[in-house]
Amino acid sequence: MSKRLAASLFAQDGKICCTHCSYPLTPLGRSWKKEAALSTVPVANLPGAGSNIEPRVILRRFACPRCGHLLDTETALPEDPFLEDLVIA
Amino acid sequence: MDPVTFSIIRHRLFRVIEEAVITLKHVSGSAITNEGHDLMVSLYQADGSLLMGGVGFLHHLTSAAEACKAIIRRFGSQIAERDLFLLNDPYTAALHTSDIYLVAPIHHGGKLVAWSACFVHVSDIGAMNPGGFAPEAQDIFTEGFSSPGIKLIERGELRQDVWDTILNMVRNPEMVALDLRSMIACNNVARERMLALVDKYGAETVDEACATLISQSEARLRERLRELPDGQWQSRQYLEVKGEIYKVLLTMKKRGDSLTFDFTGSSPQSKYSVNCSKWASLGGLFAPLFPLLCYDIVWNEGAIRPITMIAPEGTIVNCTRPAPVSVATVGAIQSVNNAACSTIGKMLAASETYAEEATAVWHANHFAIFMFGNNQRGRLAIGILTETFAGAGGARTFADGVDIGGEIPNPISRMANVETTEAQFPIRYLFRRKLSDSGGAGKFRGGTGGEMAIVAHDAPDGGIHYVISGKGARFPQSDGLSGGYPGGVNDYVWVRAPNEAHNVDRFAQTLDAIPGESEPISWGVFPLMDDDGLYVRWNGGGGVGDPLDRSPEKVMADLRSGTISGEAASDIYGVIQTAGAVDQRATDAKRAELRRARLLTESL
Repeated sequence: MSKRLAASLFAQDGKICCTHCSYPLTPLGRSWKKEAALSTVPVANLPGAGSNIEPRVILRRFACPRCGHLLDTETALPEDPFLEDLVIA
Repeated sequence: MDPVTFSIIRHRLFRVIEEAVITLKHVSGSAITNEGHDLMVSLYQADGSLLMGGVGFLHHLTSAAEACKAIIRRFGSQIAERDLFLLNDPYTAALHTSDIYLVAPIHHGGKLVAWSACFVHVSDIGAMNPGGFAPEAQDIFTEGFSSPGIKLIERGELRQDVWDTILNMVRNPEMVALDLRSMIACNNVARERMLALVDKYGAETVDEACATLISQSEARLRERLRELPDGQWQSRQYLEVKGEIYKVLLTMKKRGDSLTFDFTGSSPQSKYSVNCSKWASLGGLFAPLFPLLCYDIVWNEGAIRPITMIAPEGTIVNCTRPAPVSVATVGAIQSVNNAACSTIGKMLAASETYAEEATAVWHANHFAIFMFGNNQRGRLAIGILTETFAGAGGARTFADGVDIGGEIPNPISRMANVETTEAQFPIRYLFRRKLSDSGGAGKFRGGTGGEMAIVAHDAPDGGIHYVISGKGARFPQSDGLSGGYPGGVNDYVWVRAPNEAHNVDRFAQTLDAIPGESEPISWGVFPLMDDDGLYVRWNGGGGVGDPLDRSPEKVMADLRSGTISGEAASDIYGVIQTAGAVDQRATDAKRAELRRARLLTESL
């Protein structure tokens, strides 16, 4: 029995899994982002960035460590913690 | 109550508001009201609680309820038939001083049965900067006329002394008078139609229908919440003013049939006027909540009851008097909108039943640019560039966002025609169009924002000036969802005229082609004199899903239409073209390469 957690994640057998390849990232109730493959890019380097963009702001990209499918993104200053979303399954 | 009568009364209440909105628009002469739709009309119960929320800027539905309650507390037994009250104090109920509430009691048979309330952003309120947004203000005292409640009409008679006093404190009394008269007419129509409704069905029957409507809304929202998963979702919004960075941090918790919006962790209040009061934050979170969770539920007191807000005092989302708040509606309030939109979107996306109602954040940043100066007819003109209301749709879980597609907090927002603005101000548009690469990338792309440039034209004083309270240029705020990228940022560029003002390109079609020295600006008062140019771009909506999952054919269509650049097609979407068509083999290889690159995990 699986349960949807987000468009890119589902819960099964007590684990948070990638919707694309079913890879189990972490047990339910824990932060899956810490187990994801994280890549960051300065927002200033993205196509269409404005002329006055904050140079330190980054786009965090959290991907499935097995299939590389993008699970979530967030914009952040480097010193700020991950945003934590938690579905009680 | 028989269901047919109930349905008729419910629809009549909708129509009362609709007709009052039409009246307001027809009487007002300002583009911000009748073109941008920066307005709101709603009905309230005798105790001031929300009975029937109308369209317009939805932040005001709950704040105007507080305005009615404040008037009831202040005036009590002095409230009489055909009175009308003005309130615009942000620390009592309003969002900022230039959004004036006019609220009117509705009596039937000598008994108070309801209130009508409306607002418009008047074209001036006597703040230190023209137009009401006052980036140079240091406190509420420099943000113009502010009343916690004053009787403007007494038993149907205008209080001329009050009227004259207010208009004596604003820069363009004729236009402000028209704004106020539009709201008086609006309240008159609302009262007449409400009384006709009560006359026809009787006060007891209408009362019963209203009570049923409210209990129905509460029951239906609680039922919807029970269908959604329990959990918590976070969002963080950054605002920057003159080098100082502020955060609005939201943790939304859903348990059973209730929702809590907790802003603990948000920045202390600012010395700049981007702060907002607690009533403004409450309105700010309801603005996306009503359309996203209550799209088929009447917006009234019942839909408010399951919601709790925690906003620590002294923060940017619950500032203390006399902190300045005149830029709140495009500052902290809009960040509250965005954060609530993001967390609600995540919650909906976690539901099998409601996943298709989820959205990335829409157009996240208004730019408040108020022009002021003598126009081509030698009259003082003050008004906003209404492109700030043009917006951009956030992507959904099944479709792209709508290009220049409006905004969540105001379902009827729109921009004026170029010609309307050119008729009012001594300016000329060089261009106004969709902006490439502004929609957040994703399997479903965010709607694009736009770009525009203006120069002075036929100005008796050689040009005009403008007040800019522009945020959203430093940080993206239209967050993506489930792997989608954020929408692009705003941009404000003052192109200083070259010394040799002759022989310049007066028909430039890009920012780079406008002669002069470009300087990013965002906060303060600037000139549009001689051959100066002003270039503005506004943000797109956030994307949904992994951009590498987007159909290559859709990427190519975006490329052909100029919606995205070749760089984005290749580096973000991983689509390679050959002779104007998708090269499938090269695209597969590029996408595999980009996915592999993501696996090179950075140390945390």
